Amino acid sequence: MTKNRSSANKGVFCAAVCANRQIRQRFYRLRLEFSGAGAEAFSNFKPGQFAELDLCDTALPPAKTIPEDLSNAAGRKILLRRPFSFTDVTMQGDKTLVDILYCVVGPATLRMTTLAAGNSVSIIGPLGNGFWVPGGKKRAVLVAGGMGAGPLEYLAKILTADYPGIEAIALAGAKMAKELPFEGRLDEISQQLGFSLPVFAKYGIQSVVATDDGSAGHHGLVTDCLSEWLGGPDLASESMIIYSCGPEVMLARVAEIAKEKKIDCQVSMERRMACGFGVCQSCAVECRVSDSSETIYKLCCEDGPVFDGMEVVF
Amino acid sequence: MNESVDISVDFAGIHLANPVFTASGTCGYADELGEYMDINRLGGFITKSITRRPRKGHATPRIVETNSGMLNAIGLANIGLDKFIEEKLPVLEKMSAAVFVNLAGETINEYVAVAERLANEKAIAGFELNISCPNVKKGGISFGTEPVQVKEITSAVKKAAGEKVLMVKLSPTVTDISVIARAAVDAGADALSLVNTFTAMVIDIESRKAVLANKTGGLSGPAIKPIAVYLVNKVYNEVAKDRGVPILGMGGIRNASDAIEYIIAGATAVAVGTANFVEPGCAAKIIEGIKKYCTRNNVAQIRDLVGSLLKEE
Ligand SMILES: Cc1cc2nc3c(=O)[nH]c(=O)nc-3n(C[C@H](O)[C@H](O)[C@H](O)COP(=O)(O)OP(=O)(O)OC[C@H]3O[C@@H](n4cnc5c(N)ncnc54)[C@H](O)[C@@H]3O)c2cc1C
Ligand SMILES: Cc1cc2nc3c(=O)[nH]c(=O)nc-3n(C[C@H](O)[C@H](O)[C@H](O)COP(=O)(O)O)c2cc1C
Ligand code: FES
Repeated sequence: MTKNRSSANKGVFCAAVCANRQIRQRFYRLRLEFSGAGAEAFSNFKPGQFAELDLCDTALPPAKTIPEDLSNAAGRKILLRRPFSFTDVTMQGDKTLVDILYCVVGPATLRMTTLAAGNSVSIIGPLGNGFWVPGGKKRAVLVAGGMGAGPLEYLAKILTADYPGIEAIALAGAKMAKELPFEGRLDEISQQLGFSLPVFAKYGIQSVVATDDGSAGHHGLVTDCLSEWLGGPDLASESMIIYSCGPEVMLARVAEIAKEKKIDCQVSMERRMACGFGVCQSCAVECRVSDSSETIYKLCCEDGPVFDGMEVVF
Repeated sequence: MNESVDISVDFAGIHLANPVFTASGTCGYADELGEYMDINRLGGFITKSITRRPRKGHATPRIVETNSGMLNAIGLANIGLDKFIEEKLPVLEKMSAAVFVNLAGETINEYVAVAERLANEKAIAGFELNISCPNVKKGGISFGTEPVQVKEITSAVKKAAGEKVLMVKLSPTVTDISVIARAAVDAGADALSLVNTFTAMVIDIESRKAVLANKTGGLSGPAIKPIAVYLVNKVYNEVAKDRGVPILGMGGIRNASDAIEYIIAGATAVAVGTANFVEPGCAAKIIEGIKKYCTRNNVAQIRDLVGSLLKEE
């Protein structure tokens, strides 16, 4: 993957819902199918890029199934599309299938849970710039916080398929076990690097899980795991790269560690987006300008969401 | 079927192929929506506010969604006049829609400087004077709430604008919008556009802080439409009709029915704002929908519909 601008054939497409599966409490995986021009456009989708879903006309779940903390928000009449990245993209004949891992946090994602096979959804994309692989890399560390695991799962797939010279590992963290967006029992998951997370293991990539409260995997911050792990292998820092997606405080720490160790680092940023395609200016990310103390605002949706970790002012 | 319907309008001397614009701040500087629609189908196009120097704008969060609406506090972030001329004007030159450059600034001199510099550019049909931005401390809305200041800035920019059409964009956050409209027209405004966003606030009750970094923002979208339709009708009846000044109506327009409501209320043309974010090709659909409405209702020329609100006898 080279660093380039978003694909030329983006547009508004209609996707058919294939499946929408709850994987744990608040986490779901949605599978969408594109045909025709949409299949073509999304076949070029890169890990870290995103798409904007229109969920305005999607029904709410029955009132009694809505979690209490979301019952007030649920009543809000939504207007704007919502940005999501993909955890997988596969081609099947002339169709393109995409998977979205999502967390139920408000009115739009609540509506998303009622999407079922047979429904369709309007989607704009592919949007933004994804992760890229600079030359000379031999080792990639994927650092995920909570929902950040989504795009990194797809990155793991592409690294394995297209970059046999790069060995990748994944570190996935969350506050507590129930905020980890993975299937299966996590309370007994290994504290060591291994093939414990199927989403990465299926691509032959080892992983470690960390939780702040110790309820799953390593007891502590995922960024501490990163520091520890970087202290271990004696690969030259130029041949390594860190890819990260998750809460901004975590990204800030990851970028700081990368800077200390002089390792390349890419972070996927999140901003509230009104449009997602560069016209509203709502998604500003403060960035450094090289050789200057000045900063500028770049647009998360157009210039990102993936940025060089050194560039972002956290 | 639609061939016989004439949806072209005369807007302050500019011939528009149809009465649909895209609104400032929601369609970029030039052809950004081109990936989603044929922008040459637009009647008019209004750029993001341009200031003399580039502006970074406010910290984030800059937007928050509300019930059927959204607040924005972008802070007039824009690339500035020089870059606009260098990078965007050449693109605008190729557009068939009537191009209006939205002007903003902190002092009258700044507005005048931008207008003067662009007054002879053939790519531009006119200016939209933004004296109604609720999101900047200096300039912006403060020019748009005092009739004396409205007159002063309008006449200064009118001089600088030369042959170009000057449209003044009004804030709805005033006691009597007609007083402001009259001041603008008295000072030489060729057209009026309304409304800009309503100053508003959203509070996070857990943190007890305003959600937007700027604390307040401007409310737009379907939530404001009925108030904006009323204000257009009021300005049409109290000022624009008698003075022969066209109105560009906007606020929450999402479909042709919304657009027609504004036209009946007194708008000669309409602008689509927030809806571009959700459906970036919706302006083209609205144009088609207006044609269909005219056919269905035997309206031979859309201009006959302007201000056609019936008064009960
Ligand atoms: C580029 C990008 C990719 C994304 N990919 C995914 C994904 O793959 N899976 C997924 O589940 N989510 C993803 N998100 C987040 C997702 O867009 C939001 O969770 C969703 O918009 C929430 O909508 P809602 O109506 O359910 O909740 P809302 O009511 O809109 O939000 C719920 C809560 O989250 C806060 N919030 C919402 N959006 C943001 C934001 N951008 N930054 C900070 N706080 C915010 C709100 O303040 C509110 O408290 C992504 C966001 C971006 C910008
Ligand atoms: C994100 C955003 C940015 C805007 N920026 C500008 C601007 O730079 N200048 C301006 O005159 N109006 C600006 N507006 C106001 C719109 O042009 C329009 O007047 C208003 O949003 C009402 O129309 P709507 O409800 O269709 O959006 C902006 C609106 C939004 C939502
Ligand atoms: S979300 Fe509109 S410019 Fe980025």
